[in-house]
Amino acid sequence: MIALVCIGAAARGQPAAAPPEPAAAPTPAAPTPSPWPGSTPPLVLPKPPAPPVVAPPLVLPTPAPPVAAPPAPAPTTTAPAPAGPELSSSQKTWFAIKVIGGLVALFVLAFLGGSRRVARAQETLGVANVIAAGFPFVALGLIASHPRIGVLTGDVLDQLRPVMQFGLGWLGFIIGAQLDIRVLDRVPKGTAYIILVEALGPFAVTAGACGALMVAGFGAKLEDPALWRDLLILGAAAAMTAPRQFRGFAMRSWREGKGVDILLAQLDEIVGVVGLLFLTAYFRGNAGVGAWQLPATAWLFVSIGLGVALGVLIFAMIRVPTSNAEFLAVVLGSIAFASGLASYLHLSPIVVCFIAGTLVINFPNDQKDSVFRILNQLERPLQQLFLIIAGAVWSVNDWRGWALVPLFVAGRAAGKWLGVTAAHASLGSEIPAGFVDDRQLVSPLSSLSIGLVISVESLYADGALSWITTAVIGGAMVTEVLVHFLYETRTSRLVADEVAQHSPGSLPAPEEIEAKIDELDDSGPIYREPEPDDTAAGGHGPGGTP
Amino acid sequence: MIALLLLLALGGLMQVARSFAPLAGAAGVELAFGFLLLTAFFSARLLHRVGLPHLTCYLIAGIVSGPFVLNLVGDSMTHDLKVVSDVAVCMIALTAGAELNFVKIKPYARVLSRMVFFAVIGTFVVLSGVLFLVRPLLPFFDDMPIADSFAVCMMIGVAASAQSPSVVMAMVSETRAEGPMTRILLAMVVVADFIVIFSYAIVSAIAGAVIGGDIDVTGEVASVSWELGGSVAFGVAIGALLGMFLRTVKRGASLFAVMICLVVAEIGVRIHLDPLITMIAAGVYLENVSKADATDLLHDFESAQLPVFLVFFALAGNHINLKTLVSAIVPIAVIVAARASCFFVGCKLATRDAGVHPAVRTYAWFGLVPQAGLAIALALLIQKTFPSFGNEAAVLLLGVVAANELIAPPIFRIVMMRSGEAGKRAADGATHGH
Repeated sequence: MIALVCIGAAARGQPAAAPPEPAAAPTPAAPTPSPWPGSTPPLVLPKPPAPPVVAPPLVLPTPAPPVAAPPAPAPTTTAPAPAGPELSSSQKTWFAIKVIGGLVALFVLAFLGGSRRVARAQETLGVANVIAAGFPFVALGLIASHPRIGVLTGDVLDQLRPVMQFGLGWLGFIIGAQLDIRVLDRVPKGTAYIILVEALGPFAVTAGACGALMVAGFGAKLEDPALWRDLLILGAAAAMTAPRQFRGFAMRSWREGKGVDILLAQLDEIVGVVGLLFLTAYFRGNAGVGAWQLPATAWLFVSIGLGVALGVLIFAMIRVPTSNAEFLAVVLGSIAFASGLASYLHLSPIVVCFIAGTLVINFPNDQKDSVFRILNQLERPLQQLFLIIAGAVWSVNDWRGWALVPLFVAGRAAGKWLGVTAAHASLGSEIPAGFVDDRQLVSPLSSLSIGLVISVESLYADGALSWITTAVIGGAMVTEVLVHFLYETRTSRLVADEVAQHSPGSLPAPEEIEAKIDELDDSGPIYREPEPDDTAAGGHGPGGTP
Repeated sequence: MIALLLLLALGGLMQVARSFAPLAGAAGVELAFGFLLLTAFFSARLLHRVGLPHLTCYLIAGIVSGPFVLNLVGDSMTHDLKVVSDVAVCMIALTAGAELNFVKIKPYARVLSRMVFFAVIGTFVVLSGVLFLVRPLLPFFDDMPIADSFAVCMMIGVAASAQSPSVVMAMVSETRAEGPMTRILLAMVVVADFIVIFSYAIVSAIAGAVIGGDIDVTGEVASVSWELGGSVAFGVAIGALLGMFLRTVKRGASLFAVMICLVVAEIGVRIHLDPLITMIAAGVYLENVSKADATDLLHDFESAQLPVFLVFFALAGNHINLKTLVSAIVPIAVIVAARASCFFVGCKLATRDAGVHPAVRTYAWFGLVPQAGLAIALALLIQKTFPSFGNEAAVLLLGVVAANELIAPPIFRIVMMRSGEAGKRAADGATHGH
């Protein structure tokens, strides 16, 4: 629905080269107001009469600004449009048709890309690990934003900003809603430490390596707060991992018996959310905007407080609906309201909705399944659409961003190695061996990393952010390729081992091999509820792959 | 009680946002969307208990949160939400068209044509006369020559007589009504829409010629022909496309249909087609000509309608200026009363000796009273094209629409209940369960 709002608004916008249309005397060809209630301007008191004109033939109304109060211009973070000749009526119509047609095509592609049939086909082709991260959609966004294609122009992207914000809010809400705090009570001892060091390692090494290049090679100044902001973004993005086989946020609720990577990835994402929380509090790009002039730390508490207030409110609201349609309306409205409110206050929709989502799920209620059903229905199309927009705002021309990519990828792997080594050294036998033994040093980047970058792009507008975007999106692509290569090698080895262990006549059934590979999909030990024997033995769980 | 507390909490948070920055950017659009959707939903929860129809509750939510009461949702926030209304109209039109089954309506063809003549065309004429008589109450007629006044009265009369398929569809959907009166009403408001658009084109051209001394007959004919004929042709093509999709692809048909609605809403107006007529034609084709079974599509549409209705009608309420409504209360009341009387008398005349169901004879007239989209569009068209008196005429017309928007739905709901047709449609419990 939000997407529809933005498509319409985008199509009503002028192409980048066109200045705003001057007010013209009414003529038969002049645009006339829109017919429907939603577009109705408020009633206005009579004005002094003007000379009569010849009535034009009836033309069906086209959109016009409200009579009483023209809309405030949307904030533009993209490059200002150069002045150009005014477009004729037919050119405007063609522009609208092109933009709407292009956007509808992108929406349909996002929908098709999100369908289960396509996802299954991708898995069959063995490209799911690349596709699941949605890079083809990023590429699609890049293409659509090319000036010669002209579908996702700067103005159109500005009009699509509410979709982006809704997508970010939805992402934050679903990540928060996955965080069932009761599950954390049952994870093995030392898990928190592993998460901390495995997140801090990549965070520190990546930020340090990229920071060194930015200072030494690109001339960034250490005293410039923007540098520290960028390093915080890069570090937070690097810290977040995704499970080996990502089948969508709504599908990955962790429970006993599922690979621990899923749980670790979820918990890693908290690092990103906390990073964003600090970014929006201490690096407020629009500090002068708005009537509230608060110290940075106060904004930290505003974010948390708003998230809590919205969480309680949404929790109360979802108890009211009695049918699917009502549930859809309330969940849709709640996320739009929460992310809209956060964006309005120049806070991060991801952070505020994350807190709200966590509260909604952790309060005792019977609506969890219904919430997840709605979230799941919207997930894939929204995610793909979001990636298209990410591609469209990505500036690939600056070589400095690409120079950061190898450092970003290597920094993540080195940081992970440091973290695993530190966990090994500190905890030793206190934690099930498989928790650190089977960890992959090159792990896929969470989709939230891209969300984080896009979120920051919408909050600030300076040149260095394009480096960060390139580093994160480029780094994610390189990581996916590496993971794909490593995964294939590992899977082939497993199949070869299985075959070697059996005589030709007693090969295991293909589904048995597949089951073992599936276990590796989670690329980590599978944690199960402790058996009585294990507990008696002092273990908190069996650890290791059963 | 919980609904009231939730509304207060939502309003409080909205006030917080507005205190931060009165002018909204992109975030304001999303915030307004979420806020209107939620407040309309919980207002309906709260007010439905006192017997108000959902539609009126949505309007009230929009009025209270709008710029003329609490100013929680300002114009700058809702401007970009226009597309929701546009798409909503197309969705409603598609559903309304698909409700028009020729086989079921055929027995009522005679009474329908009589109702068009007496209730629709008759109302044009009478309203024009009434307006001419109440000219002394309307300052913009003060210095206008008699001939000009008469032409302007005709034009305003046609615009004021417009009905609302959207409201009728919403009410039929809410009350789950089915029966002869419902079928005649739906057919009637759809046909009346065609006639009002056609008549307006003619009388506005006459008014323009009388006031400005010029008329382009050829241009007028071409424009109206394209608008009506083109819309129908385009609608049939869309109906065929939808039918093909339903037969071949099947899955995702509702999303495909929503996208079609978006395209028609946004592109249709740019090539001077009427989205309402286009989508009604598509629905009629789908129901009566296509071999596809549109039942699932319509069912999915019903599920998706709730969020759309919530925002659509809340937005409509958001733009109602109560102050203006009060300041021009006398002429507005005269026109509202005259209009309703015309429909009453017209329908009585049309159904006399027609052998129709008693419910049609007694209650059908009231279904013509509600107003919304088309009347507002015509008011704005007058405002735009006749600057010398357009503002005042628009205020008058919008006042009439606002009065009918507020008063008609609750009464219409009672009428539907009394007709005995409410609740006759197979319930699915999914759309308007609250």
